[in-house]
Amino acid sequence: MKELLKKGLIGIGTVLGLASCGGSDGRIGSSDPFCQQVLPAVEAFMTQASEAYPTPDEPRYGGTVVLGTIGDMPDGLNSAVSSNYSDAQHQQFVGLMTLINYDARGEARAYLAEDWEVAPDGRSITFQIRQDVRWHDGEQTDAYDVAFTYEAVTDPLTAFPNAAFWDHYVKGPDGVEVIDDFTIRIRLEPHADFMDPFRTLGILPEHLLGDVPHDQLKLHPYGTQCPVGNGPFVFAQHIPQDRWVFEANPAFPEALGGRPFLDRYVYRVIPEQTTLLTELLIEDIDVYIAPRPDQAQQIIDNQNLELLNFSGRSYVFVGWNARKPQLADSRVRRAITIGTNRAEIVEAILQGYGQVANTGVPPFHWAYDPESMPSLEYNPDRAKVLLDEAGWQDRDGDGVRESEDGTRLSLSIKYNTGNQQRQDIAEIMQQQLGAVGIEIQPQVVEWGTLLQQINTPELRDFDGVVMGWVVEFKLDDIDLFHSERIDQPYAWSGTENLEIDRLLEELSITADRSEAMVLWKEYQELLIEEQPYTYFYFPDRLEGINRRVKGVEVDARGEWLNIKDWYLDPASR
Amino acid sequence: MTRYIIRRLLSAIPLVLGIATIVFFAVNLAPGDPTLYFLSPGMTQDVIEQMRVNFGLDQPVHVRYLRWLGAMLTGDFGYSISHSRPVLEVLMDFLPNTLVLSACALFVAFLFGIIIGTIQAVRQYSVMDSSMSVVLLFFYSMPSFWLALMLILTLSLFARNVWDLPIWFPASGIVSVDYDFLTLSEKVRDRVMHLVLPTLSLALVLTAGIARYMRGSMLEVIRQDYIRTAKAKGLSEAVVVFKHALRNALIPVITLVGLYIPVLFSGTIFIETIFAWPGMGRTIYDAIFIRDYPLVMAGTFFFAIMVVVANLIADVLYAVIDPRIRYE
Amino acid sequence: MSDRSLAGRRRWRVVSTVLPGLPQVLMGRWGAGWTVLLTWLGCLWVVMAHYERVVGALGGGWDQNLALGTLVVSLTLAWTWSWRDVSGSDESKDVGVSQWDLAVRAFSKNRTAVVGLIVIIGLYLVALLTPLLAPYDPTFQGDLITERYVGLSATHPLGTDNYARDVLSRLLYGARISLAIGFVAVSISVSVGTLLGAVAGFMGGIVDAMIMRFVDIVISFPRLVLLITIIGLFGSSIFMIVAVLGLTLWPGTARIVRGEVLSLREREFIQAATALGYSKRRIILRHLIPNALGPVIVAATLGIGNTIVLEAGLSFLGLGVQPPTPSWGTMVAVGRDDLLGAWWLSTFPGLAIVFTVLSFNLVGDGLRDALDPRLRT
Repeated sequence: MKELLKKGLIGIGTVLGLASCGGSDGRIGSSDPFCQQVLPAVEAFMTQASEAYPTPDEPRYGGTVVLGTIGDMPDGLNSAVSSNYSDAQHQQFVGLMTLINYDARGEARAYLAEDWEVAPDGRSITFQIRQDVRWHDGEQTDAYDVAFTYEAVTDPLTAFPNAAFWDHYVKGPDGVEVIDDFTIRIRLEPHADFMDPFRTLGILPEHLLGDVPHDQLKLHPYGTQCPVGNGPFVFAQHIPQDRWVFEANPAFPEALGGRPFLDRYVYRVIPEQTTLLTELLIEDIDVYIAPRPDQAQQIIDNQNLELLNFSGRSYVFVGWNARKPQLADSRVRRAITIGTNRAEIVEAILQGYGQVANTGVPPFHWAYDPESMPSLEYNPDRAKVLLDEAGWQDRDGDGVRESEDGTRLSLSIKYNTGNQQRQDIAEIMQQQLGAVGIEIQPQVVEWGTLLQQINTPELRDFDGVVMGWVVEFKLDDIDLFHSERIDQPYAWSGTENLEIDRLLEELSITADRSEAMVLWKEYQELLIEEQPYTYFYFPDRLEGINRRVKGVEVDARGEWLNIKDWYLDPASR
Repeated sequence: MTRYIIRRLLSAIPLVLGIATIVFFAVNLAPGDPTLYFLSPGMTQDVIEQMRVNFGLDQPVHVRYLRWLGAMLTGDFGYSISHSRPVLEVLMDFLPNTLVLSACALFVAFLFGIIIGTIQAVRQYSVMDSSMSVVLLFFYSMPSFWLALMLILTLSLFARNVWDLPIWFPASGIVSVDYDFLTLSEKVRDRVMHLVLPTLSLALVLTAGIARYMRGSMLEVIRQDYIRTAKAKGLSEAVVVFKHALRNALIPVITLVGLYIPVLFSGTIFIETIFAWPGMGRTIYDAIFIRDYPLVMAGTFFFAIMVVVANLIADVLYAVIDPRIRYE
Repeated sequence: MSDRSLAGRRRWRVVSTVLPGLPQVLMGRWGAGWTVLLTWLGCLWVVMAHYERVVGALGGGWDQNLALGTLVVSLTLAWTWSWRDVSGSDESKDVGVSQWDLAVRAFSKNRTAVVGLIVIIGLYLVALLTPLLAPYDPTFQGDLITERYVGLSATHPLGTDNYARDVLSRLLYGARISLAIGFVAVSISVSVGTLLGAVAGFMGGIVDAMIMRFVDIVISFPRLVLLITIIGLFGSSIFMIVAVLGLTLWPGTARIVRGEVLSLREREFIQAATALGYSKRRIILRHLIPNALGPVIVAATLGIGNTIVLEAGLSFLGLGVQPPTPSWGTMVAVGRDDLLGAWWLSTFPGLAIVFTVLSFNLVGDGLRDALDPRLRT
């Protein structure tokens, strides 16, 4: 008995001992030689900077904010290779700086570039770079950094995910000219919203990454292990799948507001939404990014919490494969759309946190004008008429329509595993469209497999697919609907419409907004008639925050847009 | 016996290689590849091909297999595509977390299981026996993720917000956010507090199985002659149970450790997801979905080795214990 | 106890006509008695309370015919068995008490085991009778605005889910899927495992080594990779899931059986059989396996519960039974996101799983205790 006790205690002791020193923590956690070189320089400069720029004696300064969300940042601050939303937000607002950013009305204003000038013929932009910005290891940020970043992202070897941004820019070294240390000129063809890529592209340090071959940028440790930036926050630590820790940058230019109020900002990865909500409710995290609509009420009901919401930049739709015989006729596609009670679905699934979408132009966009569009309201009777007109009738009385040659109007709608909202859409459509004589079979497919099925041009193994899209302020559907791109991955709908082609091309290069507005209207009307997609909704982005976090602004630009101005209620610290 | 052990170890090598090979082809057979996840508008086929080349995916499967095999034999497990780091580093980051969790869960499960099983056997057919069976089976029948969520809701959320208890457990993570600023004893406490709920979620499910085996084993032992002799000698029940019966009854149950280790490892994935525990289970699972081939292969490889070793230990223990069993 | 006089028997027969099973209960054999009585009463209640549906089921789909058939068969069986039991002469009961009879008697004395058995029989009956019992079609969606996430209410005793579907109906239909999955997967794994384990344990040598290496491969194989690949290639279907579950669970049984056989092999009766020249196949099938059944039964009953729970885990990962087919596992996994808001979505299927697994295990325990002469004091 005593022996058993002894063994038990030894066991507990070992376990506790293991527990105390197992797992990864510690500041310079990366064993990569690149990082081991880079991080000490950062520490040294930061120590220096905090002495040179002491924290003002003001009650708003200080404290830590903990933010929780489902996904990690797969590429971190490496803006040349990332396509993830959280990555992009941190590149724009936390760790790096972009040349410009937008104000609340979508107008460009100076950030890293203190001024810029567009040439009269619209074929080049000259940027003046601020001279008071330093990288977190002390090096000056200058035009060479911008040049390096530009060349890297326009080089196909890098495989920059949003290559579409640079469609009308002159790519590679020919497109950029360093005029002096802080002046840089970029060449382009005039086109719409041409400044938008500079809002999202975080500038990378040339002195650290300049020698890296472009095809190795993707796998470089910089992004997730030692991202040295020049933004308001300095990277302190990254424990994979667990958290990122950032600290205030004392050397951030005074002219831009100086160091952020917060001392520390922690990004926690919590992959389960119930756990996230619990953590918010027990005040272990201060911010919960993107709670589900069903969880909103509990956040509202709690006195210590507040629910923020804004109209986001994404939309959810069902893409139809017009290559299939049942879907080749646009009348069938329109019938499907008006045969589905989308307003009800939005109300039910999003609990009101969202709007019905009829085209791919989200509410935040200046061209958004739903009033002037033809109506696509729920009208099952009209749907039946359309189907009859298109030659689909229930000839054998089994409740499902057939064409003249006997093909049944039976469609599969695919969606990926693990996404409740998309499953909801597919299943509800099944019910509702059954009433107008269309048989829908929801099919759930694992994400990777689904991507392969819909993106492989030779395959296109689907009838309908529930998908979502996140757009930038520069809206361009060319990859989706232009007939020349029909054999590229994103041409799911297989649309071949010359009018749409023409409009897409024109929209792409029309810089003047009043001209473009007319084109947008035409384009959207055409889209409604053609119905390559059944657009469903523009979901709101929700955010649960603890009331002690003050000063948080959120809108279509993102949740982190003014993180450097967040501060904690002094009483709560 | 030694020869047997050596033979088993030697035969484990082709076994593990065999598994690795099968998994390699299985994963590569599954539709899709890592580039799909990085797909964005504007990316043309050439860019995608370029990505494939960058990842080393442009070669045919058998060539990739041979290269992987060759590299692995020299200890180079390659570069993780989704983590942008050498695979070994990734594993070393996550492995300790899973090991700690598993070890604690095993320990707690065996502790509870053995104690409860013994009590049940000693009081066979009593109300205590039946009711304990029911309670244990109750926990056994719960999916572990449900138990985990229930524990979080009761011992974390409700404890703090609804019942105002003085103690509540953290709902996720291995350590608190300000761990680095704590004193040593506070650090230990922090880690232990974060371990409690995940360990319970894993352990309670296993306890039932262990308790039942213990009960059965104990029942067999109690009916042996030497126990009756001890009782006849006038020794108290406690002494009889603990000094004589328990030790002998424990032995076959200990061999269960070997059986439960693989179960434990596959079970951690739910717990790691719910408790945001950065461990191996979740990592490998994510890697499979994102088709991060090098990471999946390395993870499978290590998992297979661990299972083989665990089984070997179990078999050896079993033979050592029961002298009637002989291996040729 | 039983009044075996002619008058007494007539009295019992009268009682048995109206309430089969009651005589046995009153006679003290309440294991058999309660089973029959509850079956009888339950089926009668279904007929009376759901009369229109029973009638409407005539000529319906195979589903409903099956339910009707079950109803009829159960009622007939219950009544007939009880009648013959009270009518039969008692002499036949005293001649030759077989191993089986002993086991049955020991089992009947174990109250919790009997309760478990009754629950299991009840479950399977319910599963078969579901078309007559379920108040709604399990895939029927009510009004999405007003009827989503309705809590426990008169029209929806167990609430509705996120598609305004009735939870009770889904629970009942889910029983079939979950029970079927559990049963089939375990049947596969137990059969394969027992056979291979016995062969390995008895033959020893190379055969043993090869089989055990095969076991090692299957155990060490990451099930998840296999599942994703198979589901990716063939799409997910219940058949695939059951097959994968069954084919990856048998090693556990195999090792247990092998262990038992290794011990048994050295026992005198096996050595005697070998000496007598019985063929290996005969020894394995007729001597070893029946004696090793104890742990196998425990493994099987634990296995059924395990499989149902595993299926819930697969649903958690998005790989289980796919919607809209209800299975308890899927319902628990899907409902977990709403634990704080709509707790009934996960709780009732969760409880259903718990009680089912509980019952299987109690029965398993009872069987093992009853079959093992060493454990009967």
